[in-house]
Amino acid sequence: MDEQNIIDRNRGLKGQNRIRLLGLFYVMFFCVIGIQLVRHTVFEPEEGEAKRIARQADRVPRPDIVDRNGVVLATDVSVASLFADPRKILDIEEAVELISSTMPDVDAADLRKKLTAPGRAFVWIKRQVSPEERDAVYNLGIPGVAYINERKRVYPQGRLTAHTVGYVDVDTKGIAGIEKYLDNAGAIYTASLAEPGRPMSAPAQLAMDVRVQHALVDEIAKAIVKFKAAAGGGIVMDIETGEIVALASLPDFNPNAESKSFGKDQQNRMLSGVYELGSVVKAVTFAMAFDYGVMNMNSKFDARYPLVVGNARINDFHAQRRVLTVPEVFTNSSNIGTAKMALAVGIEGHKEFLGRVGLLDRLLTEVPETAKPLLPKRWGRLVSATAAFGHGFAVQPLQGLSVVSGILNGGKLLQPTFMRRTKEEADVLAKQVVKQSVSQNMRELFRLNATEGSAGKADIPGYRVGGKTGTAEKVVRGRYSKDHRLASFIGAFPMDNPRYAILVMLDEPKPLPETYGFATSGWNAVPTAGNIIARIAPLLGIVPVLTDADRVKLEKQRKAKKG
Amino acid sequence: MLKYANFALVLGTLVTASVLYNLEHETRSNERTIAKSKAEMIDNVEAIKLLKAEWSSLTRPERLQRLAEQHLGMTHLQPDQIVTAQELPQRLQDLVKAEGAASQGTIDDILKKMQ
Repeated sequence: MDEQNIIDRNRGLKGQNRIRLLGLFYVMFFCVIGIQLVRHTVFEPEEGEAKRIARQADRVPRPDIVDRNGVVLATDVSVASLFADPRKILDIEEAVELISSTMPDVDAADLRKKLTAPGRAFVWIKRQVSPEERDAVYNLGIPGVAYINERKRVYPQGRLTAHTVGYVDVDTKGIAGIEKYLDNAGAIYTASLAEPGRPMSAPAQLAMDVRVQHALVDEIAKAIVKFKAAAGGGIVMDIETGEIVALASLPDFNPNAESKSFGKDQQNRMLSGVYELGSVVKAVTFAMAFDYGVMNMNSKFDARYPLVVGNARINDFHAQRRVLTVPEVFTNSSNIGTAKMALAVGIEGHKEFLGRVGLLDRLLTEVPETAKPLLPKRWGRLVSATAAFGHGFAVQPLQGLSVVSGILNGGKLLQPTFMRRTKEEADVLAKQVVKQSVSQNMRELFRLNATEGSAGKADIPGYRVGGKTGTAEKVVRGRYSKDHRLASFIGAFPMDNPRYAILVMLDEPKPLPETYGFATSGWNAVPTAGNIIARIAPLLGIVPVLTDADRVKLEKQRKAKKG
Repeated sequence: MLKYANFALVLGTLVTASVLYNLEHETRSNERTIAKSKAEMIDNVEAIKLLKAEWSSLTRPERLQRLAEQHLGMTHLQPDQIVTAQELPQRLQDLVKAEGAASQGTIDDILKKMQ
């Protein structure tokens, strides 16, 4: 009995142990369930996180482009693009009919061809459609037709800034202008604008001021109409920093246009064209002669007889037939006097100076489409003498302006820029090309040419304008033509301490009755520059200094306008 | 005994499950709110961009000039229309102050003097 009891108890104990073990399993089982519950609900799945980060990193956004005052020049907006999966469309014939009747500009035959092509799973129907078109097509309810949102680049200022800003293709890849710079050479700059961890970026700020840009474009457009010119252009540059505040080249183009096949006529003449700027080049020769010390302001040049070099004769356009002082050579734009300066410097010196101011090399800016200067290949005495007054010497207008700016701003040559640049940054980049005293002499000559010489029509009272004119005969079929001219003006203001340099160029201006049959620069490019300066100087914060004579002149102008 | 323990464990699991379910439900709804807000933010950013572009297009200098010439009869600024502060005639207020410091006269006295 006892034994039996003991056995029973043992058996009971054994049973209890088993039950405890079972209990432990239960507890563990529930624990596992609990842990899994917590794991799945409270904690985020890990692989999802990795995917999200990867998705954010794959696209560098294209920055907006703004002007120096923050006006938007280029921005991205979201637009829908319609596409189709032909395999899912039940009745292609019906689909084509419906789509082409909803969007009349979609070519039905072309769409049918695309949709019936075998083995295609993705076909664009139309890219960048308006919200109304998108809804209309979507509401047709064709299976397999859908839309995705794409970025579209728009240029709110349109034509106004087209040449500088450039444009992108349908895949928002930069094709021209600053847009191209942002993709290629300026890629590091573009990346620096991106905001980390966010699909956004700070805008790229240009040196351009749209108000100045408009005044420039407006006046040049008016001049082209008035003088029946073939084309025209202009640049306004900050003389101390090399910032291009405005750049116009007409005819221009609409960067918002659907088809971006722009002709050669719409190219940026200020950068990608080279022109013989004619007498404007004399300014460079003067600076060179001053810098080499072969003359001073009191030197005299004999312009009584044509200059004979080899078997060629150099003559003056406005022949004075007398001995001219240095300022007279400048204001009369004497070819003889200027050629003599170059000969006094010598061929090697001449070439060295042109190299020093960068006229032998291609000028590089952010905007990629620049042209190399066209210079004589072989230098002799005659070539040096004619190059001194701009014959056989073609440069891109921007380069011409930047050299003259360098001469007038105290001799600090700066690479022009389309982006913002501070005075401090510019001072570091500047290269001293002529002495301070040379710059001072040149300022005097430029101002004198506006008060007494050929640039008189640009002398807007109060703004102390100075400038040099140039009228070059264009080469037509390999010969200089008397009827095809290129009129240009390069100037700066206010001349006592120049702040802005300006270039105006008119291609083939025609003589008018009111210009007394003249078609030289002083009658067309110069007054145009004057109109521009009168409009932009207040915008640029130049304070006019008026003499009593100026006030009388302005009063007279006002009365003449009223009467 | 085992029955109770088992019951307690089942109960515990159910309670945990329901608490966690509620928690998850809440999280999901919060996530939805966040996603919705984010989408809204993107939409608003897009709208702002579009409006900025539109503003830039509407304030094109060419358009403003056309409108100003048509409706306001405005012309270009002439250099003699810009005047510095020094060129302005002295303000009455300053005269009063200067006079007031010298003699304790009334404004009427000063006006009389000025005539």
